[in-house]
Amino acid sequence: MTTSAPSPVLPLLARGLAAGGSAGLLSGLFALLVAGPLMDRAIALEEEREHTGQALALAASLAHGETEVFSRGTQHFGLVVTAVVTGLALGVFFGIAYALLHRRTALSGGDHWMRALTLAGAGFLALSLLPGLRYPASPPGVGDSGTVGDRQLLWLTAMFLGAAGTAAAWRLHRTLAAAGRPAPVRHSAVALVLLATLTVLFLLPPNPDPVRVPAELLWDFRLLSLAGHAVLWAALGAVFGWLGLRYDPAAGRGTFAAAARPAG
Amino acid sequence: MSEHTLDPAAAAPAAVPADASSVRSARDWTIAAVAAVIALLALWAVFFDNGQAIAATGDYLHEFSHDGRHLFGAPCH
Repeated sequence: MTTSAPSPVLPLLARGLAAGGSAGLLSGLFALLVAGPLMDRAIALEEEREHTGQALALAASLAHGETEVFSRGTQHFGLVVTAVVTGLALGVFFGIAYALLHRRTALSGGDHWMRALTLAGAGFLALSLLPGLRYPASPPGVGDSGTVGDRQLLWLTAMFLGAAGTAAAWRLHRTLAAAGRPAPVRHSAVALVLLATLTVLFLLPPNPDPVRVPAELLWDFRLLSLAGHAVLWAALGAVFGWLGLRYDPAAGRGTFAAAARPAG
Repeated sequence: MSEHTLDPAAAAPAAVPADASSVRSARDWTIAAVAAVIALLALWAVFFDNGQAIAATGDYLHEFSHDGRHLFGAPCH
């Protein structure tokens, strides 16, 4: 074999962008239709709370210039745009991670469907579920602008720990599989690593902000937030895997070789 | 059947030497790295900006992505 196969990273990058963009759009629309009304209710409650407060607070908020920058309609549109941007960005990382994990068989010679779903599951665990269990999402009305810097640092740390823990579990599983250990041993090892990660996550300081929304609304919002994450990752993995099944490595190489081949 | 040979080794671009492929591979990975940096910047703008990015015009980025931030669990005011 003197010929060089095209580097797998660019086709996978394109696949990641396509999968991420469509997954972002899907989760954005899901969020808009299912969680949007919940957020509108939370904002209405927040305004009600502000206005039934003392006249002093009202005057302060007026003096503070509490006019909204965007209407709720624009923010609804912003929700979908945010989800698409998130999907595209995650799709880039997904494609690169896929190329790194399956170097030689990234384009052909593997079970692309199961691989993509597995990687998407790992991504959900690392960046959504583990950090989300420690710092669950909160509806509008919760959140003190004075603590936002601290909370961003905690959230970032939680995502880093989630990613590190998931990567460690993945590695350990690979090592044990290479050593011929049976599935119960491998799976128990993965569970232990994830449990340790969760323990470390709960050693981080708690979210400092008081939560002043009804418990039912808070619970629904957190559940739907996690569902939105799940939709994003599931669609990302499924579209990426489906495009992987459809990809024809011969055609991919053919387009590269066409320039060097005499036209016939 | 074509009169040309269908042997893939003959049809393949044998003129491409190994170092050309490594140059192309380096170029592709550079593109991937640039894409990753852009993706990180986009995520930062959407989930972490509190008005710094477009300081002169106020909190536009933050307010535009406000609902998305809450929904994806990003810290918000």
